[in-house]
Amino acid sequence: MAVPLLSVADLQVGFATQRGLLRAVDGVSFDLAEGQTLGIVGESGSGKSVTAKTLMNLLPSYARVDGSVTFDGRDVRAMATEGERHFWGVEMTMVFQDPMTSLNPVKKVGEQIAESLRVHLKRSRKEARDEACDLLQQVGIPEPKKRLTQYPHELSGGLRQRVVIAMALACSPRLLIADEPTTALDVTVQKHILDLLDELREERGMAMILITHDLGVVKGRADQIMVMYAGRTMEQADTATLFSEMRHPYTEALLETIPRIDMASHTRLVPIPGNPPDAVDLGPGCPFAQRCRYCSAACLVDQPGLDQHGDGHACACHSPVGTEAGAAAHVSNLETGVTPAGLDMGTFTAAVGETA
Amino acid sequence: MIVLARRLAQLVAVVLAVTFLAFTAMNTLGDPLFNVVGFVAAVDCDAVEAGEIEDISSQGGTSIGDCVVVAEAREEFHLNESLPIRYGRWVGDLVRGDFGTSFKNRMPVSTVLADRLPKSLLLMGMAEVFAVAVSIPWAVAATYRANRAMDRASTVGAFGMLALPNFALGVILFYFFVVRWQVFPSRFEDDNLAVRLKSLVLPALTLGMPLAATYFRLLRTDLITTLQEDFVVMAKAKGLSSRWIMFRHALRPSLFSLVTVFGLNTAALIGGALIVEQIFSIPGLGRALVEASIRDDYPVVLGATVVIATGFVAINFAVDLLYSYLDPRVRRES
Repeated sequence: MAVPLLSVADLQVGFATQRGLLRAVDGVSFDLAEGQTLGIVGESGSGKSVTAKTLMNLLPSYARVDGSVTFDGRDVRAMATEGERHFWGVEMTMVFQDPMTSLNPVKKVGEQIAESLRVHLKRSRKEARDEACDLLQQVGIPEPKKRLTQYPHELSGGLRQRVVIAMALACSPRLLIADEPTTALDVTVQKHILDLLDELREERGMAMILITHDLGVVKGRADQIMVMYAGRTMEQADTATLFSEMRHPYTEALLETIPRIDMASHTRLVPIPGNPPDAVDLGPGCPFAQRCRYCSAACLVDQPGLDQHGDGHACACHSPVGTEAGAAAHVSNLETGVTPAGLDMGTFTAAVGETA
Repeated sequence: MIVLARRLAQLVAVVLAVTFLAFTAMNTLGDPLFNVVGFVAAVDCDAVEAGEIEDISSQGGTSIGDCVVVAEAREEFHLNESLPIRYGRWVGDLVRGDFGTSFKNRMPVSTVLADRLPKSLLLMGMAEVFAVAVSIPWAVAATYRANRAMDRASTVGAFGMLALPNFALGVILFYFFVVRWQVFPSRFEDDNLAVRLKSLVLPALTLGMPLAATYFRLLRTDLITTLQEDFVVMAKAKGLSSRWIMFRHALRPSLFSLVTVFGLNTAALIGGALIVEQIFSIPGLGRALVEASIRDDYPVVLGATVVIATGFVAINFAVDLLYSYLDPRVRRES
């Protein structure tokens, strides 16, 4: 791979709480090339949004950050401390989850798009307005001229998210971070927005980080996928490899929670048992051990490292899916009926029986 | 247009309601003529008229002349008629622009009001301009660094300003600036606008400081809430500076509580600054109202009531207009 546009190495983000240090992100590393899409997938609390906020310099001042973030050879964390004013919003921008709240209710749509152009690119009022109009057209908003003078409450949810996207694209960024860009939208609109993001990325040769809890969303859209859990990288691979040679039990579990069109109707979806662990008190083993059907004794005491499986496919697991170790752990757990972490295997078998 | 008509109807209703209450109260609690000839004399004259006493000279110092005065005054002010008729007569006069005549000095009430109201309005205006001009930059500065030293000191300072009663603050200012350093005049001077403004500085400060503290508290709280909104995070992600975000994104949607309380306070100040008017010897509407109430001079009381009620309705209308300027979502509803 050529020199990556964005390179994150061993990123650590912690928050001091009264109970101790909360490790929101723990040792995340990835490279992203110009024009490529990285999908970051995980449940809430997995550290995916904190990772995004770290990149965007949006963390509160009390957050403790370590590790390196390099964008086109520039040290991003140094730019944050030096107060660089024309990087975020220009080179790197972000789209948030809820378009209902990410627009200022008392400012006209046009002004909100134009202000970045005026601040960063020093456009005149009129130039900025004309460019805003073009942007609205590009994100597929009908009657863009009229929309410029409207307020956010006069637009539907889908249109608002398009406005947010137009806002983020105003200064032609080279990297767009989309944090659950469709979660708050109607199902019918979700696909349109995702397709729009994809088209715009392609047209502009922009790189994108697409953050979601839904593996289905990134399946056809991301070049690489990183699965996060409890602030750590569980599995990392290019998209085709991840789906064909899935290694991590958590990735597998995530996939089973998604309904697919080729499933028989009334197929029971398999929820992941239990809840994500307490990020303040993770203990020594694998953070997913308590909820994993492949759990072995080692998983409870020894935190697995991120092992390479070839071609940039990495997985942090003692008994990966599709390996001998994984199969052995699974069989052993089925025989005893309970995992070493004390999880009843019956939780899975009932559901698996139905899917088969 | 419809909005305006509705406001006008509201104004009429409010004025009728409050003046009727004031009218009834004043006529139930006292007789204005007590102040013309004295309480005992008035009672005596009543007794003569009722035939209970035959010889007025048998009753202490009251003379027959007093009773003539009383009878004449009754005639002049229509005091023999029943309460509803008198109120109706008063409303009828008001519609024609006649506020009636003061019992005290026989001056038209409109003259009294025209003399007193501008001074009260000027005082109110100065106090509010001071309060707003101080509180907005103060709150913005404190929220920039919320919970830091400057913010905490401000909060304590604001509490102090609120806890100190008006008259205490007024007396303290009066002592230092008038008595000791003689920077400001000891009483209201009316020669020209500059002099008027100068003699109202201390009273305006006295009224304005607790107001500024109130506005500071409200705006600080609202600003902190607004700065946690998603659209502020979005604005940061767009790379906008804190200053830009504060003034172009956060300030306007944070002004609601301030504007609401501003409206109520301003209206209350039209006739409600009497303590300050007393300390600084300002012949304002507040003092006129108190003096007239004590004397049962109800034409003046009613006139002042009309002015104050109108002020309330007008100011709250202005506040509503301000709401719809501040938030476009309000516009659609009205």
